[in-house]
Amino acid sequence: MPLKAKDLKDTESLLKELEKLEYVADEELAISVFLLLKLHKPVLLEGPPGIGKTELALVLSKLLDTKLIRLQCYEGLDINAAVYEWNYQKQLLAIKLIENEKGSLGEKEKTIFGEDYLMKRPLLQAISETQKAPVLLIDEIDRSDEEFEAFLLELLSSFQISIPELGTITATQKPYVILTSNRTRELSDALKRRCLYQWIDYPDLAKEMAIVKRKMPAIEDKLLAQITQAVQKLRKLKLAKTPGVSETIDWAQAILALGHRELNAKTISQTLGNVLKTIDDLDAVKGNYLEELLEK
Amino acid sequence: MKQQAFATNSISESIVAFAQFSRAHGLNVGIGETIAAFEGLDQLPLENELQLKFLLKPLFCNSPEDRMLFEGLYKLFWDSNPIDLNGKNQTKIAGAKKKKKSSSLVMLGLGNNEGAKEEAKEISGANEAESLRKTDFSKLSDIESKQLEEIAEKLFKEMALRLRRRMKESRHIGKLNLRRTIRRSINTGGEPINLFFKAQKPKRQRLILMLDVSGSMDKYSLFLLRFVFELRNYFRQLEAFIFSTSLIRISEAVAYGQMDATVEALGIQVNNWSSGTKIGECLKDFNEKYGKRILNGSPTFIILSDGLDTGEPEVLAKEMKTIQGKVRKLVWLNPLIAMSGYEPIQRGMKAALPSIDDFRTAHNLDSLLALEKILNDV
Repeated sequence: MPLKAKDLKDTESLLKELEKLEYVADEELAISVFLLLKLHKPVLLEGPPGIGKTELALVLSKLLDTKLIRLQCYEGLDINAAVYEWNYQKQLLAIKLIENEKGSLGEKEKTIFGEDYLMKRPLLQAISETQKAPVLLIDEIDRSDEEFEAFLLELLSSFQISIPELGTITATQKPYVILTSNRTRELSDALKRRCLYQWIDYPDLAKEMAIVKRKMPAIEDKLLAQITQAVQKLRKLKLAKTPGVSETIDWAQAILALGHRELNAKTISQTLGNVLKTIDDLDAVKGNYLEELLEK
Repeated sequence: MKQQAFATNSISESIVAFAQFSRAHGLNVGIGETIAAFEGLDQLPLENELQLKFLLKPLFCNSPEDRMLFEGLYKLFWDSNPIDLNGKNQTKIAGAKKKKKSSSLVMLGLGNNEGAKEEAKEISGANEAESLRKTDFSKLSDIESKQLEEIAEKLFKEMALRLRRRMKESRHIGKLNLRRTIRRSINTGGEPINLFFKAQKPKRQRLILMLDVSGSMDKYSLFLLRFVFELRNYFRQLEAFIFSTSLIRISEAVAYGQMDATVEALGIQVNNWSSGTKIGECLKDFNEKYGKRILNGSPTFIILSDGLDTGEPEVLAKEMKTIQGKVRKLVWLNPLIAMSGYEPIQRGMKAALPSIDDFRTAHNLDSLLALEKILNDV
């Protein structure tokens, strides 16, 4: 039974629903999601990689049983790739075909700049959905250029996009927008002010255990505690890439798959590559901190 | 202005007052945020006091620093003890006004005179900023160095933005602009007679920086490091190294923008290596380990060092020659040039000089900003 945004009464029920879908959130995040659902205010999630920012959008689309439209940002992302593009080949063919037909230039132009020739990219898709409001995930916005950020302002505040050839398209079903950022650069104030700002940090031991347990109910408590404790210790070391929660889950899965029931020096050295992703980190930890990881 | 929640008559009034209070203490809260807060309250039946905080927090905050400040403000405002919030005590709230921790002070261990610094900030005017930009980094007091850091951050950001914009206006002919070509071809029955092009964004070139972090250089290196961090979005590839007696690659830290962590690590190393600089050996190390991988596609190479080398000058001369052969331009920034009567006659500097394309100073903020011209040609 999918959840309907307008039936939602309080954050408690929202938290429960999220948990059913294996997403462990705290009340602070739940309130932001609540406001996202009720007021369509975009949520900007910032925090280190691998702590479930993107996951929230996936879970939300499942929760509402609606489409997830994802725009992965990258340097140089432009309007053609994010909003729309004309189907040039089709347009060229059409021009040839209607060449000898009667009709004014204006009419012909209207034909080849019609919906049939428009290729919708994620942002336009998100606002032209007519059945059910989709979840729009704008992932890693900090990777895009500042110019693109400015372009998003119109979309985020009034849910509309202006296309020179077609006019302004306004959303009939306002999408639920989630933006994520790893904070590799500072986003503009204008963008931030249009969003609910949430900083997500690495979870504490109890919460991390709960998250892993949710994902992998079969894991034994002893192993679970050992793994999460070790990861929490790893995060305190000065590493080139600090492991996130997704690494913890990967690690736990790897250890289970190998059939180990507890964490010891051998298991760690076999599977550490699941948690640490650079050779320098691996060498440093294997060389100096193995014992420390195993201590209670 | 109502300064604390208990002095107000209703929850709505409290929230409006709290918005004003937050704004007065440096949070970016406008009418829009206040209205959004009421809209939120309309939807969410509050069950406990914590929920109100969680509702306001994402609306009023825009960064982790804001969130820390918010905690303090929230506690103070909704506290039932009367506190004199007017007058001088206003800025005592931790983090208010000045949000970022000043990395240079942490590095130099001079972080604990908050009062004096605040005072200095209030009295500084435009003229002072002007003269600070021309002050030699090594002659700055700790107060000034903090002020200058703020000015520098702003100016470096502006510069990076300028460099980006200039790129966009390029007139190079690039890819065909299909959209425009087709649109105009309607006039000619679909024959694309007039072709329109997209200006191609020129590739940002590569930059390699080597910072000398030996004792005498640390103030200079710190500002250049900040400079490097601002530039990271601008160059296709930016490689940064620090050296004194050995060489460390910090490119990844730069790519991830971990300025504070880098400075911290740097601080530790500076203390460890109070012995002299071995520029030659470090460059040799660079050529052996990274040379093949990094020194291609003619990058621009910038070295920041005072050239006081304790190693063998022959090694330095040889390695410099190798590097110069592979780069587009080899720039050496030496803060000592600004000193009157300075001549590059020390052993190391003398050995390196023949291979240097551009030998210039980098002793104050203005001289760093003048690098924009070099970077623009990169």
